[in-house]
Amino acid sequence: MKVRIALFGALRDADPHGFIELDAPEACTIAGLRDLLREHLREHAPHISAGLVQRSAFASNDEILHNHRALPEDGQLAILPPVSGG
Amino acid sequence: MTDLHTAVIDICEAQLDPAAALAFVSDRRFGGIDMFIGKVREHNLGRVVTGISYDLFEPLALRTFQEIGERARKEIGGPMKLYIAHAKGELRIGEIAVIVAAGTPHRDEAFRACRLAIEAVKHEAPIWKQEHYIDGDSAWSEGCSLCEDHRQQEQREAERAAAPGKKTHAHGHEH
Repeated sequence: MKVRIALFGALRDADPHGFIELDAPEACTIAGLRDLLREHLREHAPHISAGLVQRSAFASNDEILHNHRALPEDGQLAILPPVSGG
Repeated sequence: MTDLHTAVIDICEAQLDPAAALAFVSDRRFGGIDMFIGKVREHNLGRVVTGISYDLFEPLALRTFQEIGERARKEIGGPMKLYIAHAKGELRIGEIAVIVAAGTPHRDEAFRACRLAIEAVKHEAPIWKQEHYIDGDSAWSEGCSLCEDHRQQEQREAERAAAPGKKTHAHGHEH
């Protein structure tokens, strides 16, 4: 399935479009998607540290999606680096 | 729910308004109101700051504010009005980045609700701060991981690092 990952904060530097699209297996989990994204960034945005991706959370519009969760059916996600509001 | 107001305010369209927050949490039942206002300051970690850009994942930020409101309601367990608003966009020194206000019958609940809400906004809401410095450099602030494994690890490290008797933050960095 095609997955679109919206970028925020320091991860916006990974792609000027503000999102990254990846092809993921149908049965992929968030942990699997994290590995795919890390590989994608290693090739296309090597200035983004793998550690930042590890410390980031994935989310839908409604909730944080932890590593064991399946990808949302609509393929729309966001990746959230460590937060620093206020 | 009419006793919880949450908002993300685009600084291009409006400023955050403490008077609006005060009006919202005011009520004939309430004798205690506490308000926290967070502003952009001109120094951070020894560097001169000229402004801050705030980036938000807005749908989840608003949902997180609502959840924080529900948590505060359970914690307080009585009548309460709570106002949570955060700015997005480019802010200059002295501009208001966040307002949290709580109205309750007595001061203790108001202080507790306000403290709970602002700490949760800072540590849990999907909001990112990029500082701009006088030398032209910019940097995204170090933040709190929302990823479950790292969150637990950061909390353990902070607890280990805390000196006895020292009032510590819940994790290992300053903000």
